Amino acid sequence: MTGYFIRRLLLIIPTFLGITLMVFAITRFVPGGPIDRALAQAQAASESAEFQSSRPGDSTSILSESQLNQLREYYGFDKPLLESYVQWLGKVVQFDLGVSTRYAEPVWQTIADRLPVSLYYGFVTLVLTYMVCIPLGIWKGIKHAGTFDHLSSAVVFIGYAVPGYIVGIALLTAFASEIELFPLGGFASDDFDDFTLWEQVKDIVWHSVLPLISYMVGSFAVMTFMVKNSLMDNLAADYVRAAMARGRTFGGAVWHHALRNSLIPLATHFGNNIGIVLTGSFLIETIFNINGFGLLGYEAVVERDYPVVLGILVISSMLFLIGNILSDLCVALVDPRVRFQ
Amino acid sequence: MIRLDPLTRRQFARFRGTKRGWYSALILMVLVASTAVTELLVNNRALVVNYQGEWHFPVYADFKPGTTFGLDYAYETNYRDLKAVLEQSGDGFVIMPPVPFSPFEINSYDGQFAPHPPNAAQQHYLGTDTAGRDVLARLAYGFRIAIWFSLVLLVATFVVGIAIGCAMGYYGGLSDLIGQRVIEVWSNVPMLYIIIIIASVITPDFWILMGLLFIFGWMGMTWYMRTATYREAARDYVLAAKSLGASDGRIVFRHILPNTLSLIVTFIPFAVTGGIGSLTSLDYLGYGLPPPTPSWGELLKQGTDNLDSAWIVTSVVSALVGLLVMVTFVGEAIRDAFDPKQHTTYQ
Repeated sequence: MTGYFIRRLLLIIPTFLGITLMVFAITRFVPGGPIDRALAQAQAASESAEFQSSRPGDSTSILSESQLNQLREYYGFDKPLLESYVQWLGKVVQFDLGVSTRYAEPVWQTIADRLPVSLYYGFVTLVLTYMVCIPLGIWKGIKHAGTFDHLSSAVVFIGYAVPGYIVGIALLTAFASEIELFPLGGFASDDFDDFTLWEQVKDIVWHSVLPLISYMVGSFAVMTFMVKNSLMDNLAADYVRAAMARGRTFGGAVWHHALRNSLIPLATHFGNNIGIVLTGSFLIETIFNINGFGLLGYEAVVERDYPVVLGILVISSMLFLIGNILSDLCVALVDPRVRFQ
Repeated sequence: MIRLDPLTRRQFARFRGTKRGWYSALILMVLVASTAVTELLVNNRALVVNYQGEWHFPVYADFKPGTTFGLDYAYETNYRDLKAVLEQSGDGFVIMPPVPFSPFEINSYDGQFAPHPPNAAQQHYLGTDTAGRDVLARLAYGFRIAIWFSLVLLVATFVVGIAIGCAMGYYGGLSDLIGQRVIEVWSNVPMLYIIIIIASVITPDFWILMGLLFIFGWMGMTWYMRTATYREAARDYVLAAKSLGASDGRIVFRHILPNTLSLIVTFIPFAVTGGIGSLTSLDYLGYGLPPPTPSWGELLKQGTDNLDSAWIVTSVVSALVGLLVMVTFVGEAIRDAFDPKQHTTYQ
């Protein structure tokens, strides 16, 4: 089995190269990048200068050829695609993601600035989701086809059907705009620093109720039904029937026999939790005005801040690929019947 | 008539047994069918005009200048005004659609600024948007675009996904290994980023947007089909068919595909909600269909920017939630109907 995981780890390399090369190539061939941006800025500057000195200027060559070449060299656009890709990759393996063209600070710094907010939301969402889904799934499995099961299924499916940001908009309209129960957005109040510790905690919780609901509604359905269905599979299995036949109470059969086995499927996603910071959806972040990871990526794409785009891509694809392997590892750890070859 | 085998009939009966799924399916079928005649339900042209004994059917006719009906202008007739005029003069009558507005028409009323709140007297049942266009009219035409967008997208991704997935699962070997890597790379490329980058360079129309979503959307089905085919191909009946001399094509189309049908059908509702969701969120961000195309995403944007005019955001969110929930209920019912497991319950 060790061999299997080593092979899986090695297969990360071609996949990672494929993903980054594709996006790298696209950033190269689509107009509107940093060079075009610099040209537009120079054009605007020279036009206002022209207006002041009223000197006829040649609008086609705002920047001289040598200046353009300098710019291309600065952004690494002076070499063919593969050569500059290799150069970029060489820096990445030394953990150098370059400098943001928008903020003129290292990409690592930009990402680290957003980390606490994203970690907070990612972690709380994760914990609450497990805390709600496991008991709910068990309860629904035991009371299968009862009134509570039908009602909660309807609610969970509605949450699954509607995208989180739509839920966010609905909540914002109802509870922040119409009834002013919660704030309209943001991570904390403006005078946050003046608060006592207890007030700070209250403030953050108050600000995060609506976004957290929006984040979570979608993830309830999959996990709840995973727990419910696997619990019901196990309840129908012979070993539970045998336990009942020996005189175990129903509760005892569920608690001591079926439940442990029915939590195994949860392990199939557990490894992906290392991507916890990436759970942030930029749509929800835009609506609630939260400065997290998702919003950073979206703004970087819109503003053509390619070093940040590629930096986020490196981190997210790495976390995702490693998370998949960790999930398989978790399954192998908790279920001795599983053997990977 | 298609001959249904007992199993299919039993599955259909089980599907009908799930009440909320069955009623949602009926409502959705009516809604989709109604998109064929949206013009007759929501339009600023009259259904029927009887003017001085002559019959006109402006909905499906060319533009008719006001002079046709004895009005003093040569631009297109305003049939709502014509209705009032004819009612007074008694020269004939006008029958308007239930919602007498076009999705592009900008309505202004004296002394009021758009957006106008819902007003049954003006027949703006859900009010107007910030440009003064009727919200209900834009919802109706936006629905027609969104539902057909996601249905066409569904057919395209399913045909390609099933074909590639089947081939990978059935032939296996090197093509499978390479295919897996390609799909892994392709599905990890951030689709939204690339669509945003491309959409900011070219203005996407219906087909370009569909093409983009198709290019990044065919992998989901491929992955499931590969696994399903892989499993079926190892079964004894496939071996039996092979030893009888059946060709690969016959085995795939006559034996394997019918056995994976339940998987394919189960994914249809989720693909529909996915398509509508993608189009709406792209429109919301402003990278979807260009204005003034009626779209739910664009209404959603207006609604969130103008939370004070709550009727805009309420209408579009209710419509979206209603539609997506109904499709999901259908999906849930289909999955229950195809689920072979009938669980044991202890009393």
